Amino acid sequence: MGIVREETGTGNELRLEGAIDIGCASELKSLLTEALGSGRDLRVSLEGATYLDVTAVQLLWAASEEARRSAIAFAISDVAPEAVTAALAEAGFTSFSALAKVG
Amino acid sequence: MSTAGNAEQFKQSFREEAHEILVDLESALLELNENRADRELVGRVFRALHTIKGSGSMFGFEDLAVFTHNLENAFDEVRNGRLQVGAELIDLTLSALDQIRAMLEEREGAAESEVCAGILARVRKLAGLHEKPSAKSQSSKTQHGPSPGTGPVRQWAIHFAPGPDLLLNGSNPLLLFGELRQMGGLAVKASMAMVPPLGELDPERCYVCWEMVLATAVERDAIRDVFIFVEDSCELGIEPIGEPQASPAASGDAAPRGLEEPRASSGGRRSYDKPDTASSLRVPAARLDQFVDLVGELVTVEARLAELSARRDDPEVAEVAEEIERLTAALRETSMNIRMLPIRATFEKFRRLVHDLARDLGKDVELTMEGAETELDKTVIDQLGDPLMHLIRNSMDHGIEPSGVRAERGKRATAKIHLSARHSGASVLVVVSDDGGGIDAEAVRQRAVERGLVAANAQLGEGEIFALLFQPGFSTAKQVTDVSGRGVGMDVVRQRVESLRGTIEVASKPGQGTSVTLRLPLTLAIIDGLLVSVEEACFVLPLASTLECIELSTADIERANGKHVANVRGEMVPYIRLREHFGVRTRRPELEQIMVVESGEGRFGFVVDRVLGNCQTVIKNLGRFYRHVQAVSGATILGDGRVALILDPERLVADAMRAGAHNHGARASPRAGPGTLGPPARSEQGIVGVR
Repeated sequence: MGIVREETGTGNELRLEGAIDIGCASELKSLLTEALGSGRDLRVSLEGATYLDVTAVQLLWAASEEARRSAIAFAISDVAPEAVTAALAEAGFTSFSALAKVG
Repeated sequence: MSTAGNAEQFKQSFREEAHEILVDLESALLELNENRADRELVGRVFRALHTIKGSGSMFGFEDLAVFTHNLENAFDEVRNGRLQVGAELIDLTLSALDQIRAMLEEREGAAESEVCAGILARVRKLAGLHEKPSAKSQSSKTQHGPSPGTGPVRQWAIHFAPGPDLLLNGSNPLLLFGELRQMGGLAVKASMAMVPPLGELDPERCYVCWEMVLATAVERDAIRDVFIFVEDSCELGIEPIGEPQASPAASGDAAPRGLEEPRASSGGRRSYDKPDTASSLRVPAARLDQFVDLVGELVTVEARLAELSARRDDPEVAEVAEEIERLTAALRETSMNIRMLPIRATFEKFRRLVHDLARDLGKDVELTMEGAETELDKTVIDQLGDPLMHLIRNSMDHGIEPSGVRAERGKRATAKIHLSARHSGASVLVVVSDDGGGIDAEAVRQRAVERGLVAANAQLGEGEIFALLFQPGFSTAKQVTDVSGRGVGMDVVRQRVESLRGTIEVASKPGQGTSVTLRLPLTLAIIDGLLVSVEEACFVLPLASTLECIELSTADIERANGKHVANVRGEMVPYIRLREHFGVRTRRPELEQIMVVESGEGRFGFVVDRVLGNCQTVIKNLGRFYRHVQAVSGATILGDGRVALILDPERLVADAMRAGAHNHGARASPRAGPGTLGPPARSEQGIVGVR
């Protein structure tokens, strides 16, 4: 479980691994804020995630809105474990699913 | 929460809440036993089981959730009219509650015990439920839901906006949707409209709300039950959409209409049967004690400030001191109120005790209660359980006659034990009474003589005889049973009540019953007292037990021929001179003061040099080194920084009587005459302990 921030050639990438829940919500917010503050593109990878709770979803949503307002390219990779996407869909995060498809 | 510490904190929080729910559940079951057709009680039992199951699963008590699920299913059958409430179901469920308690404490093997398996097998058989493959193999998150119902299917629009702290409390709204899905088809849409900009977002709060449409045959109450654990802190709306469908199709197959059409009345309505202001906060008792302790420190500092202000002729300082005094008084009052709890939970616990003992003893006994809303200090409440338990057990075993005897005496077949509580001045009276055979005073007296507690020719009043019941090891029971008869319980009652600065009074009428009254202080943290002094030493006497203050002159002492007794308006009142009791060897003043107090042994006087005035003091423990000093119940710090000991008049009297008996080479007689420190004759009621 953890969040890894990496700088790539075009911008930043945040890799979410394991269960991302309220226990790491503060860290996720901090890393998202930092990454967006750099003004560079941001890509969030869910490939290694096993679970996202409500706090994670609302943070990613807020980050996407922030990126849109700041004209920063923001994308969530659509390569997420089936269990994660199914759980999000069951919880009614249809907007989030649409967001994920951007990447 | 992901950290182990927080997880344990949530588990502990759940345990505490579950124990409270279990108390209510137990009461509901026992009431249901009396009123087996009461659907409201059935609903109360079902909802309690549902809450324990749902929240148990949420906090990692999977075994508990699976176990409770079976009970919940049985009561779902009762709710749906497919199972009748009977003694077997009640007893099984009560036994199951004991197992749930063990699981809550995570006792090793509790969940796998044969007892658990036996209970479950009998519950399933009784309710006609199919046995699941294995408890462990079930996923409580997905298979513990309520039944989908059998009536016509209709659609329900559900608006669910969790409170901001929902996630911090360890709740997971997604589990609730799983439960709803078991009721029928569910369409869910999360709304992100309330999610603030990233910079303003508190990462641990929940901003998401949900709109759902559920197609199901279950009723609104059953849907609401899913949200039982969170409904106090959320906005919840459950409204039907259109008419029920004629086809009673299995609700699980029914597809809900989409969520495109906004629900007519979804906008922000709170849970429909809860007032908007309903909220409470669970605070660890230790933190509350610390708070009260700090308020106590503040009271002491405030007293110092008041004294400082009085010494200085400075209006500005005086104004601030008065303001601080006013605020401190308000804060002290508030902090005391926070500690006050209704005695209901303590009373309710005894329903089960009476039910089980009645069954074991083959007696028909009903428990009635009065004044359960009466509030007492938490510390008093915490320590009241044991004494009351011993009194009830004693009453059930020895007081209540067997059915045959009651019939012969023309008494009601069902015996009654009545618990009551009410305020009386600065005290609370808690009474345990029964309509049993009463106490045989002569048998008690004879037993006391046999045990050497009183002389064979001692003249004892009835109250004094009853007081002997509380002597260590005293029992008149001809037979020691599992319930009582070892003479330990009543001694424990006395010790515990005395440690609470309370008294016990016994009244009994042969053939009609017995009543034991515990008089307890409202609080143990603060005491209203009279500040007195002997030389430089200050003492506090509890105001509640102080009757009056009179002067004692040298002439008075001479008229009594040197005996320690004063004539108070014709009544001879023995007194204890604190100067002598505490070994102060300086010369006494010409004019002394007698504080006359009402003690369990009658009226006594305490002779002091001066009476300094009223005081409300915060009681401080003396610490473990002085725990054996019984005549002093604590200490307090005065405004000038000096320490004043808080005296326990009853103990002082007992000490003096013991000393008097020792000096006279004989056992202290409770009816000893003036000059021997024995009390005057008392009423027909016996009193043990004082304050």
